[in-house]
Amino acid sequence: MKVKWEVLSKATVFVAEEMGVALKKSALSPNIRERMDHSCAVVDVDGRIVAQAEHIPVHLGSFRVGVRNVLDYLEREGMELREGDSVLFNDPYISGTHLNDVGVLTPIFVEGKLLAYAVNKAHHVDVGGPVPGSINPSATTLFEEGFVIPPVLVERGGVPVKDVLKMIRENFKVPEYSLGDLSAQLASNRLGIQRVRQLVDKYGREMLTQGWEETLRYTERMVRKELERWPKGRYEAEDYLEWGEDFLRIKVTLEIGDKVRADFTETQEQMDGPLNAVLGVTYSSVSFAVRSMMEDVLTNDGFYSVVEVSAEEGSLVNPRKPAAVGGGNVETSQRIADVTFLALSKALPERVPAAPHGTMMNIMMGGVVRGKYWSYYETVGGGSGARPNGDGESAVHVNMSNTLNTPIEIAERQFPILFTKYMIREGSGGRGKYRGGDGIVRGFRVLYPTKLSILADRFRLGPWGLNGGERGKPGKALVSGREMPSKFTVLLREGDEVVVETPGGGGYGSPG
Amino acid sequence: MIVSVDVGGTFTDIVALDESGNMILYKGPTTPKAPEEGVMHGLSRLGKVSTVVHATTIATNALLGQVNLELPRVALITTRGFRDVIEIGRQNRPELYNPFFRKPTPLVPRELRFEVSERTGPSGEVLQELREEELTQALKEAKGRGATSLAISFLHSYANPRNELRAKEISSGIFQYVSISYEVSPAPREYERTSSTVVNAALMPVMRRYLESLRESLRTKGEPELFIMASSGGLIDVDEAGRRPVQVIESGPAAGVVGVAVLSRLMGEPNAISFDMGGTTAKAGTVVNHEVETTQDYEVGGRTHYGRLVKGSGYPVRFPFVDLAEVSAGGGTIIWRDEAGALRVGPLSAGADPGPMSYGKGGNKPTLTDANLVLGRIGDTLSEGLKLNRELALKGLRELGDPVSVARDAISLASLEMARAIRLVTVERGHDPSEFTMFAFGGAGPQYALDLAEEMGINKVVIPPHPGLFSALGMLFADRKFEISRSYPKDPETEFLEMERELKRRVPETKYFLRYAEVRYEGQGWELTIPVGDPKRIEDDFQRKHLSTYGFTLDRPVEVVTIRSFAVIPGLPFTLPRPKAKSGDPPFTWREVFLKDSWERVKVFKREEIPMGYQLEGPAVVEEYSSTTLVKEGWRGEVHETGSLVLRRD
Repeated sequence: MKVKWEVLSKATVFVAEEMGVALKKSALSPNIRERMDHSCAVVDVDGRIVAQAEHIPVHLGSFRVGVRNVLDYLEREGMELREGDSVLFNDPYISGTHLNDVGVLTPIFVEGKLLAYAVNKAHHVDVGGPVPGSINPSATTLFEEGFVIPPVLVERGGVPVKDVLKMIRENFKVPEYSLGDLSAQLASNRLGIQRVRQLVDKYGREMLTQGWEETLRYTERMVRKELERWPKGRYEAEDYLEWGEDFLRIKVTLEIGDKVRADFTETQEQMDGPLNAVLGVTYSSVSFAVRSMMEDVLTNDGFYSVVEVSAEEGSLVNPRKPAAVGGGNVETSQRIADVTFLALSKALPERVPAAPHGTMMNIMMGGVVRGKYWSYYETVGGGSGARPNGDGESAVHVNMSNTLNTPIEIAERQFPILFTKYMIREGSGGRGKYRGGDGIVRGFRVLYPTKLSILADRFRLGPWGLNGGERGKPGKALVSGREMPSKFTVLLREGDEVVVETPGGGGYGSPG
Repeated sequence: MIVSVDVGGTFTDIVALDESGNMILYKGPTTPKAPEEGVMHGLSRLGKVSTVVHATTIATNALLGQVNLELPRVALITTRGFRDVIEIGRQNRPELYNPFFRKPTPLVPRELRFEVSERTGPSGEVLQELREEELTQALKEAKGRGATSLAISFLHSYANPRNELRAKEISSGIFQYVSISYEVSPAPREYERTSSTVVNAALMPVMRRYLESLRESLRTKGEPELFIMASSGGLIDVDEAGRRPVQVIESGPAAGVVGVAVLSRLMGEPNAISFDMGGTTAKAGTVVNHEVETTQDYEVGGRTHYGRLVKGSGYPVRFPFVDLAEVSAGGGTIIWRDEAGALRVGPLSAGADPGPMSYGKGGNKPTLTDANLVLGRIGDTLSEGLKLNRELALKGLRELGDPVSVARDAISLASLEMARAIRLVTVERGHDPSEFTMFAFGGAGPQYALDLAEEMGINKVVIPPHPGLFSALGMLFADRKFEISRSYPKDPETEFLEMERELKRRVPETKYFLRYAEVRYEGQGWELTIPVGDPKRIEDDFQRKHLSTYGFTLDRPVEVVTIRSFAVIPGLPFTLPRPKAKSGDPPFTWREVFLKDSWERVKVFKREEIPMGYQLEGPAVVEEYSSTTLVKEGWRGEVHETGSLVLRRD
């Protein structure tokens, strides 16, 4: 009896989910084990995403761009993968996010023949470079962000490639975490392979790949059906990132037809700072927004095949190497999602809430204590936008991130800091018929001299409201009571207190 | 007489066992508003009772806001600066792609959260003493705002409870119900600990009132001793249940797995999968080396996605829970097609009312029970005398396509969901399901057991006696357990002994102790639970388990995060009437059943008529009071001396 493709599709999604659990539970860095800043997928021989687990949005969409880039690179370089090989990479211009997201891709061979790939990405808390956390607010090129790894073998025939690990050990600033997390990443792919092989044992190779094929076709059909109900047309929207005294313009023209095409031609050119978003990020953000307009759709290549993005090379949303891109992944991604949602709100007004906090409020810190380097990365959620039918939610990650917080009791055990407050930022949500959700206030004192970077946004102009709703309150960062800009690096003295306040979401409808 | 009472959402099951080994079974309706009434109704036909063991859903029902059980107003006292930890949670949203997502409403509204000056550091050093006048003021305000139950959660209290204990001392004069985080869940991660404490505070008045009134009602039965099934699978006494009601949330589901542990031990099966499928859900759990597997990762009121909890959709409760995976697949689960025409099963259920279409009670969507009826896998007469209407079932399925293939596909999709649940509790924990024996029960479990066994590569399946009431039955024989835990022990060996001395003082009748350690590599965030024999071997056992779970070990120090000790009083010996011995072949009838790809004429037996020693050959159907077992081709069955039906394949 022929097995339904649904069965094979679900079974493969489960594989990706199990990979995610294994990665989290065996990882070392708080960023992965507590915050779950990682994602996993199963990809077919052509680089199409067959199944992925619902983890971090900015990773997920970027797999589509990144995996193909990696496969192209391997082909160009004449690197043929064999059983037991695993490829390591973090070059954002290939992987499609930023240097911190270290990817591992492992081919799945069955009886000597390539069947698919297991792939995962995990945000390593430090990948070298001049600042703790490797997201450098003052970087102007990739080289001031961290250590760049093109696709290289990290395991050959199941044996670790020691030279590569040595390079990591000497360049990533907290190598114990990184090598531990890397072990977890490799283990996660191994589990993926084992599971896919079990599927082959059970259903046979042909039935499995046919099932995948049907899954992708079915998904595409489902998505196209949904699009048929959307009002055709071109919808424009623009929004801004903040850079010093300037506003950086992101403009999208969204064309809804048999596909959704996002055109960023009128977006400004690339900048001399870390806010450039590689195309993988731009693609992730647009496809995330489009996906959010649909209810029950599998997020695989069948879905992605109806979302197209065009952006000129050399622009803020498709920069040329070696432009710095550390913040593109974490801040620009949010704004691209915002602007896409804003355009979508013109087509589907009942489905789009007002803008959420729109910044991940990235906090990178670290230093040397008793001869050991420590590095801590945190993002802080904010208010979600008010909806056409109700208030927004407070204190939550919206859009391109969904990482958990590091529990205070874990952070204090691990790093030389002491928290002073963690509260809802009352009254920060934009007013309206429905209120935006409130942001968060998080404060801590450092117990040793510490280098701190913050990369955030929406400090000058709060998240927009819709339909007459007011803007949410802009964000804030204070160092020992002194108000700071949205992007900076400082040296803190022992006892300095840092307080961040994240934006509230925009309101919906006039407050009247 | 010892009596076991399992109060579920729909039915109250009672199994009583008297001194001469006679068993009385009762299945009656649950009375949700006052469950003790349904219980007393069931008990009315029994004489004096010496002991009652009890599984209850009252905690879950209260938390889910069901059946008019009102939660009390809970006030929360926290360290200054951190009153909103309970609302911020882990800052994630439960659904990735839904712009209209909702976080769970905090169990304590902001006007009932109060901050006091005090602070303890990560190593347990008190950085600031508790400012008592601030606490007194907060208590007054909380009282004034109508709070009746109090939760206290201070940062790092797991490392040093001094400030919390002092706060409790002061509060106890003012509040009748006080829960402190150190006593509920002494481990790091402030949100999870605070949430557990708040849930405890919310349940305390409800649970104490219920237990009081149940105890009152039981007076007429000779004041029996009363034990409650904890979510961890041990029976606890009424005082403990009233003090830490947070541990009886999954009381009912735990009872089933505990039953499997008892029965599997008796049958010499060290590793068992418990598969319990009723009207709306299917639950899988495991017994490894005769012990029920537990987890600390639980959210009450949370949603599940493919059997796994959706993080952030409910209220975390950190306490040992029987490790269960639950999927929406039961007899009443609805079969439908989505817009693109794909066949779907669940998550909606028609429940017992209106129930499946074939019940003829107004159900208008086909369910899994209808699919099984159409395929002849169940008969058209249910034991309670309810006649199933095959025509109605056919009508419903026909709307989705050819009824037979829809029924077959729906059953295989449901089986896949259920296999997922089993995979979660086996494979994901590093266990190979093919090394397990499956115990299938609940009204619907035995229909699917062999499909699932084949899916998971399992070669031996046990259908326990009275599958429809098995949770109540199994509980009769459960051990009574009392637990103490400590975080970051300096010397596990000494501290295990100390904990055991303490337990022995509390529970002088203790027969033996069980020891567990939660262990990880220094720097990891998640522990593996290691059963402890000799504390010196913890590290080796951990390395082995890490290797088998994740496929690698690390060259790093190993850290014991928590040690846990249980005092155990063994339950009754499992004594059930022996099934009759072989005296000729049992009678049977024939029925057309759709198996695999075609219709076949299949023998239908009555379970009570199958004697020991008779070799049952699949394909066959075995019917009984509370369930139906489908024996597939390639499987052979035999009745075990415990009354279990044991099915094997080569």
